[in-house]
Amino acid sequence: MSGLGLVLDIAKTALSTQRYGIDVTGHNIANVNNPSYSRQSPVIEAKEAVSYGGVLLGRGVETTNVVRATDQFIESQLSEQKSNEVAFQEMERYMQILEGFLNENSETSISVLLSDFWNLWHDISNNPAGSAERVAIWEHSALLAERFNSLEADLIQMKTDLTGAVSFGVGRINEITEEIAYLNTQIVAIETSTTANDLRDKRTALVSELSEYIDVKSFEQSNGSLTIITARGCVLVQGNEAYNLEMGGTNGDRVTWRSSGNAIVDITDYLANGKLGGWLTMRDEVIAKCELDLNALAKEFIWAVNYQHSQGVGLKLFEPDTTLTGTYKTSMDLDALEFGSEIQYIADGFKLWIEDRTDPANPVINAVSVDLSGLDGSSSLADVATAINNQIAAAGLAGVTASVSGDAIGFTAGSDYAFGFSDDNSNMLAALGVNTFFQGASAGTMELNPTLSNKDYIAAATIEADGSYASGDNTNALAITDLQYESNQISQWTCDRVNGNTESTITATFEHYYHGLVGAMGIISSSISRSREFNEVMVNELSQIRDSISAVSLDEEMTNLMEFQHAYEAAAKLIAVADEMLDELLSVK
Amino acid sequence: MRVASKTVYDAARFNLASIQEQFYRANQVVATGKRITALSDDPVGLTQSLHVKSALSNLEQLGHNISMGKSWLTASESALSQAQDIISDARALCVQMVSGTIDLSQQAPAATIVQNHIDEIVSLGNTEINGQYVFAGWKTDTVPFGQDGTYHGDNHAFTIKIGNDTTIEIGADGEAIFQDLFTTLSDLKDALEGNDVEGIRAAMTNLDIDLDRITTKISDIGSKVLRMETNEQIFQEVTISSTQRLSEIEEADMAAAIIDLESREVVYKAALASSARIMQLSLVDFLS
Repeated sequence: MSGLGLVLDIAKTALSTQRYGIDVTGHNIANVNNPSYSRQSPVIEAKEAVSYGGVLLGRGVETTNVVRATDQFIESQLSEQKSNEVAFQEMERYMQILEGFLNENSETSISVLLSDFWNLWHDISNNPAGSAERVAIWEHSALLAERFNSLEADLIQMKTDLTGAVSFGVGRINEITEEIAYLNTQIVAIETSTTANDLRDKRTALVSELSEYIDVKSFEQSNGSLTIITARGCVLVQGNEAYNLEMGGTNGDRVTWRSSGNAIVDITDYLANGKLGGWLTMRDEVIAKCELDLNALAKEFIWAVNYQHSQGVGLKLFEPDTTLTGTYKTSMDLDALEFGSEIQYIADGFKLWIEDRTDPANPVINAVSVDLSGLDGSSSLADVATAINNQIAAAGLAGVTASVSGDAIGFTAGSDYAFGFSDDNSNMLAALGVNTFFQGASAGTMELNPTLSNKDYIAAATIEADGSYASGDNTNALAITDLQYESNQISQWTCDRVNGNTESTITATFEHYYHGLVGAMGIISSSISRSREFNEVMVNELSQIRDSISAVSLDEEMTNLMEFQHAYEAAAKLIAVADEMLDELLSVK
Repeated sequence: MRVASKTVYDAARFNLASIQEQFYRANQVVATGKRITALSDDPVGLTQSLHVKSALSNLEQLGHNISMGKSWLTASESALSQAQDIISDARALCVQMVSGTIDLSQQAPAATIVQNHIDEIVSLGNTEINGQYVFAGWKTDTVPFGQDGTYHGDNHAFTIKIGNDTTIEIGADGEAIFQDLFTTLSDLKDALEGNDVEGIRAAMTNLDIDLDRITTKISDIGSKVLRMETNEQIFQEVTISSTQRLSEIEEADMAAAIIDLESREVVYKAALASSARIMQLSLVDFLS
């Protein structure tokens, strides 16, 4: 067919195509600041020509499709990088809180309290009989123990908060994956005929949000649906199916994945990116190390002070008619005591001094040298008590009885008897918590031995070989001050979620060990901040590349608008011309 | 590269934020005067500064110990030099008494003088510093000498710490110092009362021995004071250099910090100006 009808027809296709173009431009302009939007453009093609009288005549124009400008590779690079960035952002945020806990710019920081602890022992050694010095060390040590307790409590609270955050994240992940699965269904249905541009943008946005929570790898199937997998190859979305994550494990703090066959896979340690990766790294590596190291320090510190303290004697012996109870308990064997592994089962164990005050004017003091060679790690507390009682009897002495009550050992003095200890080569007394300074064996459980609420029992002195002891004797206090200069073997942890935690030993004074721990946290913190900055720059650059491909430029759209507008005007003119021509024809008489 | 409208705004946001962060940090350094305000600012420096701080705290404590030790030794020294004077007086008295020109009736008052000397020595032996008896061995809270010169202390010497691995005896076993002197003086008193010239002569010899012992003890104290002063001096020097080191680690170099702050300010202002300009431009404004 040829003639004026064809011209009108061509003009009509032109008008509708240009108007369509203006629609698409309008859509682009409207989405100029939608971050997940990919700019669209109409695909304009000449309509198939028809052959007329041996000549091919064009039939105008048509819009065959509207496509979005997008680069799948850049998109996935970007979401991977974002996933990294978010992990470091979250770590940095929590690290700032942790740095606050370890704040060293205060008079109550652990390192200041530790220095003061030694200084106060110096003060006692300068005036062993002084009651002010005794009250000072008692109060101060309580404060030190409290700081250890509260730091440990803060770390535990932070871990609980992080687990809560992870659990919230898992909830959000499940919502997102459900939504993606639903979009997959829709996209597959629509794309049998056309491209589902806006739905794809929406899906890209969801994948990007998902990658802010968790490690994500995604690839598109030929039918347009998107498959998403996370750590350990666990599938989160496939076609129209979403597989949920759950909080599992005995404490409900592990992230698990459930397969279609109901198999449960623990993926916690393999999540490295996104908020979950950041939170879990903080919880299971950074805070875990801080806590393990802090506890290692507390344990060695408590042991060293207790060991030395148990060698000494206070201003007086343990009084008649009282029971001295050990602070470390076991209902099983001695190996099960907190410090059970320290005990040496040797003949020359320790000396138990018993002072007979039957004649108050002339007290008589004698020692039982307790032989522990008959015992071993599988002995019970009752065995220890029996051994001690037998040896008291064998030495022809009386007045003090060892017994077990409430899983702890106790020494009870009769009404005219007092007792004390010295020369413990076996570590037995410190391991039982008898005549010790602290109780507990970790940062969280560290406390003063309640026996010391009577400050006369702070052991600055030593019972001499002849049984004498003097209130002005400061030998044991001096030995305790020496602990500050001594290097100890203290465990140091490296926490790695995938390869497990490893323990090594470093040699350091208590203070230097703590300074090292604070420094290590600072190093972790600064490296996290640097990684965050680096990733931020990477994300920024990738975003620019992505936006240079996909985002809308208003200048460009305004130009397009002009272009379509002028073409529309021209097409309208074409109709006017055809109209005039028709008029011309119809007016022929 | 094609620049999308969003890129212009994103870039402004990103650049301004990161420049502002640096500007804020530079300001923080100037405002606090400290290089290190958080652990992560300089973890290595921080660890060193903690080491230095604990060493300083220890030095301060050792300084306390030394000044306490010095006050003990000063008190001992003054007690012992008074004892020296008393011995000299007693010796002079003996010389007088054996010269033969002295009337017998004068010997009774001389015995009284010796008794006074004994009392003085008792009170010297009971010298105390802040309630602690210097010559009681470890029994620092027990009065070491009874009125008759019996010793209630023990045979140790009170010791304190004046260095990480140095201890020093600042107290003394009073028995070793004064017991023989008491015996000598009471023998002398007996001799005077019994008009025993030989006894007085023997006491003279013993007084010489006592004087010798106490003089040796005084010079021993002198050398201890010297040791303490040497340590004190060393500690003071170390304290000064450590404090200096601490401020090098922790404190900001103000001139550099202010220059840094100013250069960040210039960058920040430039970024603000250029962002403001590029954000204003759009083709929309030029179409009518």
